[in-house]
Amino acid sequence: MTEQQYFDQYMSRELADSAKRRKRFSPSKLIIYLLLVFWALTTIYPFVWVILNSFREKGMIRKDSFSVPWPGSADFTMDNYLTAFERADFKNAYINSITVSALVTLIVIFLAGLAAYGMVRYRFHGRRALHLMILASMMFPVFSTIIPVFRLQVVMGLASTGNRYLSLLSVVLPQIAGNLSFAIIVLMGFIRSVPIDLEESAFIDGAGVFRIFSKIILPVARPSFATVAIFTFLWSYNDLFTQTFFLRYPKEKTITLLLNEISSQAGVNYGLMAASVVLVVVPVLLVYIVLQKNIIKGMTIGAVKG
Amino acid sequence: MNSVIYKKKAPLLLFLLPAFAFMMVYLYYPFVRNILNSFVEISGLGTAAGAVNQPWYSNYVNLLQDPSMITALKNTAILILVTIVFQVGIALVLALLTDRAGKGAQFFRTVYFFPIVISGTALGLMFNLIFLYKGGMLNQLLQNIGLISDNVDWKDEKHFLLTMLLPVIWQYVGFYFVILITGLNNISADIYEAASLDGADGWKTTWYISLPLLRNVLFTCLILAITGALKVFDLPWVMMGSGIPMDRSWLTGTYMYNQTFIRADVDYGSAIAVIIVILGVVISQLANFIFREKDY
Amino acid sequence: MKRLLATALAVIMVISLTAGCGGTETTTTKAADQTTTTKADDTSETTTGSEEPSGPVEITVVTSYGGDDGNRGNYEDAVSAYEEATGNTVLDASATSDEEWKSKVMTDFEAGTEPDVLFYFNGVDANPIIEGDKVVSLDEIREEYPEYADNMKEDLLVPSPVDGKVYTVPVNGFWESLFINKAVLEDAGVEIPGADYDWETFMADCEKIKEAGFTPVAVSLQEVPHYWFEFAVYNRGNQDNHLNLPASSDDETGAKWAEGLGDIKALYEAGYLPDNTLTASDAETVQLLADGDAAFLIDGSWKIGYFQENCADNLDDFALAYVPGQGERKATDLVGGISMGYYITRKAWEDPDKRDAAVKFVEHMTSDEVVSVFATTSVTALKDGVIPSDDLDVLQLSAIDMAAGATSLVGAVQDGMSAEARGDLFANIKNIVTAKITAEEAIDSALALQ
Repeated sequence: MTEQQYFDQYMSRELADSAKRRKRFSPSKLIIYLLLVFWALTTIYPFVWVILNSFREKGMIRKDSFSVPWPGSADFTMDNYLTAFERADFKNAYINSITVSALVTLIVIFLAGLAAYGMVRYRFHGRRALHLMILASMMFPVFSTIIPVFRLQVVMGLASTGNRYLSLLSVVLPQIAGNLSFAIIVLMGFIRSVPIDLEESAFIDGAGVFRIFSKIILPVARPSFATVAIFTFLWSYNDLFTQTFFLRYPKEKTITLLLNEISSQAGVNYGLMAASVVLVVVPVLLVYIVLQKNIIKGMTIGAVKG
Repeated sequence: MNSVIYKKKAPLLLFLLPAFAFMMVYLYYPFVRNILNSFVEISGLGTAAGAVNQPWYSNYVNLLQDPSMITALKNTAILILVTIVFQVGIALVLALLTDRAGKGAQFFRTVYFFPIVISGTALGLMFNLIFLYKGGMLNQLLQNIGLISDNVDWKDEKHFLLTMLLPVIWQYVGFYFVILITGLNNISADIYEAASLDGADGWKTTWYISLPLLRNVLFTCLILAITGALKVFDLPWVMMGSGIPMDRSWLTGTYMYNQTFIRADVDYGSAIAVIIVILGVVISQLANFIFREKDY
Repeated sequence: MKRLLATALAVIMVISLTAGCGGTETTTTKAADQTTTTKADDTSETTTGSEEPSGPVEITVVTSYGGDDGNRGNYEDAVSAYEEATGNTVLDASATSDEEWKSKVMTDFEAGTEPDVLFYFNGVDANPIIEGDKVVSLDEIREEYPEYADNMKEDLLVPSPVDGKVYTVPVNGFWESLFINKAVLEDAGVEIPGADYDWETFMADCEKIKEAGFTPVAVSLQEVPHYWFEFAVYNRGNQDNHLNLPASSDDETGAKWAEGLGDIKALYEAGYLPDNTLTASDAETVQLLADGDAAFLIDGSWKIGYFQENCADNLDDFALAYVPGQGERKATDLVGGISMGYYITRKAWEDPDKRDAAVKFVEHMTSDEVVSVFATTSVTALKDGVIPSDDLDVLQLSAIDMAAGATSLVGAVQDGMSAEARGDLFANIKNIVTAKITAEEAIDSALALQ
């Protein structure tokens, strides 16, 4: 059998199964939905709140931040968005943000995938020590590592050069390191649960470890990689602290950085702050919605085949 | 488990080297510097290190006697427990429910993720408006339905813990939810099929199949909950600032930041960072000892 | 549902991208120009040698006029004007002044990536860069450029605490004073305080305001007790000894500080501060004044912008008065000064191509015209004073009146404390007023870190 056939077999069983489960009906469904809807309300509400207030006249938010500013009413305004656009070179900032976060995400899932696979499947001396190292590094606060990293990158000729691409690289590298430990830990948990029979039958058919990794582990653990990718992207994108340290000239700035600067005195102007949040959140939600497809069973089959 | 495939160790180097090289340069080297910093006098981030502290371990002695640090440790311990029980607990319930919901599952997956994409700073400001003393949403609401007559100070010594913990728990439920949903999707379909042939119905499959097979992923969540609680920063910082009220609400993450940036006591902040890492490793190992991961 | 959401998000993004384009085309082209000029400059550097400063130069500048600073627009205009006048380009990395910014600036000097011109604090915050000889003093600059900063009053140029030499050319300074809500005072039947406001009258006024159902003083003791500390201590001393730091809580200055802290405690115990002063943020308590719930607020000259922005409709409810005096301090003795200025770094000074551009830049940014735009109501060191502007609002006029009536201006004593000591003292104020520790213990605890 080829690897493709293993998959077809594996996935078609899965498809049959999920179809079966979907048909099943139980009276407890109502309670399930009530609970799900309740939680959904708590998560949607703040989001709606932010969007509504991004259209609200400043000064009104604190007085009356929980009503709807209908277009045309006295406290409806587009000013917050206009102010934001006026102040910033948005196109460039979105490009910078997405370049940095996409690079970080791709490299992290690749390197972490390799490392997690090695850590889970191999038995070797020092494995426990390496595991502890990964675990410990997850807790290194960025506040205490940033200065040595900055000096290091100045010596390497990456930081503070005034060159846009080098500056972006000087954010990408520490962010890769910062997200690796999390990614390895999570992927280890997932890969450990992958049944080893698939790998063994592939091995009997003569596949080497790298082939097994790319043709079995990567596709089977696809949902797990998507999950890790989502969080890596999100954290890289929202990581203001590293960005502030390394991106200082206007053309280098990311969208998160730019909008944070505009609304840095947000204590005063909640409307501008809300508009900034909306503008920042949009790309992350897009990435989530795109990547989330990979976490859904039905979609996985098509994705692997295609 | 030690499959014959993985007897040859040569490829291992290629698997591990790139990731660990990154970690050595960008995490371990700076953190070793941080450990050294905790022994010397540094007054202000970015300023050069001064003389070695007298005695060199004085920061660590001071930490043990610092009431705010002890408060921070207590609160963080509470946060770890609450995170595991509620954050992971709620996420697990939601994930199991969504998994069997069928219709609308995608909708719930999407909206449960919302709180994580909004930055902690923005959420903190929103919660500040909800818990605001004068004219805050909660106080207005409770006054309108007649439960309270005077404004309640939600950040005072009676209420601060709940005011701080609720938003933190709520924000990251979506995070564990996404991880657990992924774990559920990874469970091989044959197992469910076999179970249904044996006559197991919905809740039985959940209890006897989904949960045991989620064990590894739940264990990962446990580790993430512990490390996450130790370094949580932005949301509590925006809401509780400098230990509001009366230095009662410190967490290890906020106290470390406060000492490093606001109080300019960089060496002391470095010592707190070392403690955070040590505690994280020790508690995770303890968790590892109690709930071991399993291979299949 | 999902597709709908995705489409909606995509549309928002496209709109924002195009809107972004339209608004910023000019900046993009400017950036492009910038890179070409730099290149041109590189070649001229090699051909003309290093004797005479030649051709257009690119200088790097760091200031605190970034982010949402009130003068950000003015700053950007002034920089463009400089670029036009000289043909030089400015690579600007300005940000908002906060603790993270300060540490970033210091890290740059440590790593050798400091800018050519820096707008930064002139007090103890800059000690490391002066001790490390990273910036150039005015004396040294004037050997080459005798007219450098000659439009400034010499005695208002602030010397470094390290060696007593002047390193910075200031733009505008600040004062700290009493903001009042006149509507609240009127409702409470309290007279608008004048130039002879004293502590006893103030305490009696507070009582009346409290009885009328308002909060007398808007302050967040847990977050920003700084201004009240400054004036409470000043009230227990005089202009000459205000800037002295105590050696311990039982020397003369220490006793003065303890008395001042006692006055703050008295305000707290009398219930003149907001109910939640120990848990509220500064933004929350300032809002009390803006909303007409509180009567008094001590804050700095920069706070005027806050009221202009948030209380435009009832701006004439607000005015500036004097912080009540006590003992030797008259109400009209203000705290204030000039705490920031432009430095030229040693790196730029030693670079023959950049030296002239950097000097010209500072001269331009501190010229009478530019300073006048930045200053409006605040203190400057200009010999000829600020060029008056004729479109000022009621609050600005009130501020100018207040400043004109000042009898003296003295610096803030807390600026002489190290960041560690200051942080410790202010964090302990909540413990002092609630009698968890005594003022003396708090002072000694802070001094141990000085």
